Amino acid sequence: PAGTMSTETLVKDVKPGLKNLNLIFIVLETGGCHGGGGPGSPRPPDPLPPPGRVTKTKDGHEVRTCKVADKTGSINISVWDDVGNLIQPGDIIRLTKGYASVFKGCLTLYTGRGGDLQKIGEFCMVYSEVPNFSEPNPEYVAQQSQSKG
Amino acid sequence: MEMQKGKGGTAGGGGGGGKLLVSTLLDAKDELEERLERCVGIVTSLTNGLSEREANDALNAHICKGTPQHEEICLGLFTLVLTEPAQAQKCYRDLALVSRDGMNIVLNKINHILMEKYLKLQDTCRTQLVWLLRELVKSGVLGADGVCMTFMKQIAGGDVTAKNIWLAENVLEILTEQREWVLKSSLLIAMAVYTYLRLIVDHHGTSQLQVLRQKEVDFCISLLRERFMDCFMIGRDLVRLLQNVARIPEFEQLWKDIIHNPQVLSAQFTGVLQLLQSRTSRKFLACRLTPDMETKLLFMTSRVRFGQQKRYQDWFQRQYLSTPDSQSLRCDLIRYICGVVHPSNEVLSSDILPRWAIIGWLLTTCTSNVAASNAKLALFYDWLFFNPEKDSIMNIEPAILVMHHSMKPHPAITATLLDFMCRIIPNFYPPLEAHVRQGVFNSLTHIVEKRVLAHLAPLFDNPKLDKELRAMLREKFPEFCSSPSPPIEVKIEEPVSMEMDNHMSEKDDSCYDNAEAAFSDDEEDLNSKGKKREFRFHPIKETIVEEPVDITPFLDQLDESLKDKVLQLQKGRSLEESVGKPLYLIFRNLCQMQEDNSGFSLLLDLLSELYQKQPKIGYHLLYYLKASKAAAGKMNLYESFAQATQLGDLHTCLMMDMKACQEDDVRLLCYLTPSIYTEFPDETLRSGELLNMIVAVIDSFQLQELVCHVMMGNLVMFRKDSVLNILIQSLDWETFEQYCTWQLFLAHSIPLETIIPILQHLKYKDHPEALSCLLLQLRREKPSEEMVKMVLSRPCHPDDQFTTSILRHWCIKHDDLLAEHIKSLLIKNNSLPRKRQSLRSSSSKLAQLTLEQILEHLDNLRLNLTNTKQNFFSQTPILQALQHVQASCDEAHKMKFSDLFSLAEEYEDSSTKPPKSRRKATLSSPRSRKNAAQPANNEEESASSSASEEEDTKPKPAKRKRKGSSAVGSDSD
Repeated sequence: PAGTMSTETLVKDVKPGLKNLNLIFIVLETGGCHGGGGPGSPRPPDPLPPPGRVTKTKDGHEVRTCKVADKTGSINISVWDDVGNLIQPGDIIRLTKGYASVFKGCLTLYTGRGGDLQKIGEFCMVYSEVPNFSEPNPEYVAQQSQSKG
Repeated sequence: MEMQKGKGGTAGGGGGGGKLLVSTLLDAKDELEERLERCVGIVTSLTNGLSEREANDALNAHICKGTPQHEEICLGLFTLVLTEPAQAQKCYRDLALVSRDGMNIVLNKINHILMEKYLKLQDTCRTQLVWLLRELVKSGVLGADGVCMTFMKQIAGGDVTAKNIWLAENVLEILTEQREWVLKSSLLIAMAVYTYLRLIVDHHGTSQLQVLRQKEVDFCISLLRERFMDCFMIGRDLVRLLQNVARIPEFEQLWKDIIHNPQVLSAQFTGVLQLLQSRTSRKFLACRLTPDMETKLLFMTSRVRFGQQKRYQDWFQRQYLSTPDSQSLRCDLIRYICGVVHPSNEVLSSDILPRWAIIGWLLTTCTSNVAASNAKLALFYDWLFFNPEKDSIMNIEPAILVMHHSMKPHPAITATLLDFMCRIIPNFYPPLEAHVRQGVFNSLTHIVEKRVLAHLAPLFDNPKLDKELRAMLREKFPEFCSSPSPPIEVKIEEPVSMEMDNHMSEKDDSCYDNAEAAFSDDEEDLNSKGKKREFRFHPIKETIVEEPVDITPFLDQLDESLKDKVLQLQKGRSLEESVGKPLYLIFRNLCQMQEDNSGFSLLLDLLSELYQKQPKIGYHLLYYLKASKAAAGKMNLYESFAQATQLGDLHTCLMMDMKACQEDDVRLLCYLTPSIYTEFPDETLRSGELLNMIVAVIDSFQLQELVCHVMMGNLVMFRKDSVLNILIQSLDWETFEQYCTWQLFLAHSIPLETIIPILQHLKYKDHPEALSCLLLQLRREKPSEEMVKMVLSRPCHPDDQFTTSILRHWCIKHDDLLAEHIKSLLIKNNSLPRKRQSLRSSSSKLAQLTLEQILEHLDNLRLNLTNTKQNFFSQTPILQALQHVQASCDEAHKMKFSDLFSLAEEYEDSSTKPPKSRRKATLSSPRSRKNAAQPANNEEESASSSASEEEDTKPKPAKRKRKGSSAVGSDSD
């Protein structure tokens, strides 16, 4: 298919605010959840994660944070609803039309409008878990509060 | 086929909508499925509404147009057979009629689907595929035996789930039904026997499995008895499998014949020894892994770096090794790794996950004793009758290396394997004890000869092993235990069985002691020893015979004046001489040619060819470019070389070469290090891998050399933008490696600020090396606010004294500066609603600065400073800040930190006074406080806190403190 020929961005090159991102990564963990909320959506009241892996937003969406990686590093991706239940550690996934933004000081990937997550394989992909680009970054927090204020 | 009823629905719940493969919302569209469905579309559009005869004509007419059309129709009909059971009979007949290649396209596609898509194939299609196999066999289609073998490969070992049993049953049914056809192919006979002999072990328990097992037993016995020599081609693993089923009566009988009456089975068969002495062919060892298992194991042994394997192992384990039934699979995997996975020298000399590490994982995760002892037997199976002429070192290497490498981290594993190795000799089969002893002896000798390990004494006579085991080893293998002095850790050498290795530096400890005797008695002996020992690196290793004997170790025997002269002579042996050997002629020519010269690329091609055969050429070239005058300033030639190799890329090539160099010659590695970092900064400065290579092997002397290189400006190993990342990577390294890394870092003048963020990664339990290095560096710095913030961000833990230590130090040296920073941090963090903040910190793994944390650290500092003359806590900024915080604090916190806040109580009083007098008051307050106000407070406190201080090292001082402070609180009330 013609659409898939576009080149993929590497995890290390993901920066807040980038849109139309295509990435290929391997899923490392499907745990560690937070409340919903891309940059636009209202902050959920108390983002303390429940013992389970899934968090429900006010309007009933299930949100799951997965840690994914490629050879350049790892990053969190926020996966919503059904697709989140299907994702397993070890899955190799292609993200199309994703975007990146900062959620609670952490760089996070999202599937954009018209974008998609597709499993294209499993297991056989080398990755590097470090650097973790989703580690809380005080710079992002500062930038975010600036842009809000 | 009755299995069908029970498993109607598709596994993942539909989403994709194709008829061939199960797919979910998440799965990408499958190209093969789309292609096959297009072919179905073509067939149906051609035949829709036509009579059978007309349809046949239409298909034939389309096929006549060309090969692509032929393929379309064949694949279309094939797909209809798989997806439309009702039409299968008719479509198969059409297929047989129109196919013009003897069904070749279809057979290929079946193999393709089996190898790559079987796990995702819908149940109907699986049933239909088996149906199709039966039809192909019935029609005697050429190549159906191959498909049959691919089918058997799909039957997973250690898996008794319904679908797998269903497949085992159905393939067996075809083989039994079509026995005459089976007998036409020797390979199919052997493969079928190997497969079902192995599967019998899994099939027990339920009556359904019992029935299946009986069929399998009957099938195997009949083929073994009728076609023994066809089965003989399997090799020694046939014996291994027969051992596992020996208790089944039919096999018990067969065993009797094998041992007492071999001629009954075949006139050519002379007995079990004959079988045990023949190496198992790889195809049998490989046939017991499904394609998916094989792909994943091969990926791990060819692409995954050592140290990065954990998740892959977990994923593999979860998928294939998590049930009790699956334990039998371990042996298949171990046999596969020993007998089939034979990495190239390039992989062996890289940092790819070595085979022994996978074996170690498979052994340590065994959940039953039976599985564990079978696994050990599988690991040593090629040792028992090892013959260096017929067998491969690669088959026996994993066992010795897993023992060698486990000695330090898991001595119990090494011990149990050594114990097994001793006990298997008399116990494997008593009548052949002498053969087994010889086999194990041959293995050990070959291991030393090929220099998989240089010496076995450190392994066999290691203090980590218990006395009895060592005594047993000494008794069984006196030849390999000859180390009168305590064993010496031998440099780890991976098996690169190349001639160049044969003289690698060797620690021959007896040599020092015997040198004198050898000198006088036996010149030849001295020569051979001298040749083997290398105290200087000699670049031309191929010409070892001509190489001068290194006399350095014997110099001490000379008297002083002679010794000096010899030493001078030695120094005179210039670098130029060392690069005068044949291989270097190529390098010299390369340097002298212009890059546009056609000879230049020819030479590069030649080197690239040689490099494939001998990877050591890479670092020899680096050495030449550095050492030779002819090559001065031409280090960049290496880049041209790298690009000309098959690796085709500077980074990979450089890493591989440095790795190879590291393994062969540490001193050469150190010699090359400065120029590598200088010439290829982009490849080296960001590479934790390279740094680890270096620090993993250098000794303290070489470390000191490198540190001097850095300080003399010859070497830059870290840059501001990447140093933090590399230090973070180093946290997983060995202790000495980490210390080296920090020393090298400190030799550079990179501001400590750059790497302070590493504090967030340091856990007091896991990272003592980095913590102490950082602590000792921080104490040399003036605290900046960022530093103080990072330090205070460490989670409070009673045993983690990092923060208190550095705060105390800054209190003494920079009290005013520290006070200002703490004030500022307290006030900043106080301005946020605390509730959300603490939630946030608990929701993120990394340390975040919370008010509570700051207060807790301050409280610890306060306790630490009690009874000292330090008056840090009486400084105005601190008092102001504490007051500020206390004012907006909730009751729980006020209570918890009441001792801390009480320090500021006095100040509170004075703050009500007008500003001028307030300043006065604060100026005098520290002292006056000491003399007047505080003692009252202090008495109480020192009573409670000196007690608590003593117990501070023990857990839960926080609780104690809280109790104490609440008591103080109630008193004051």
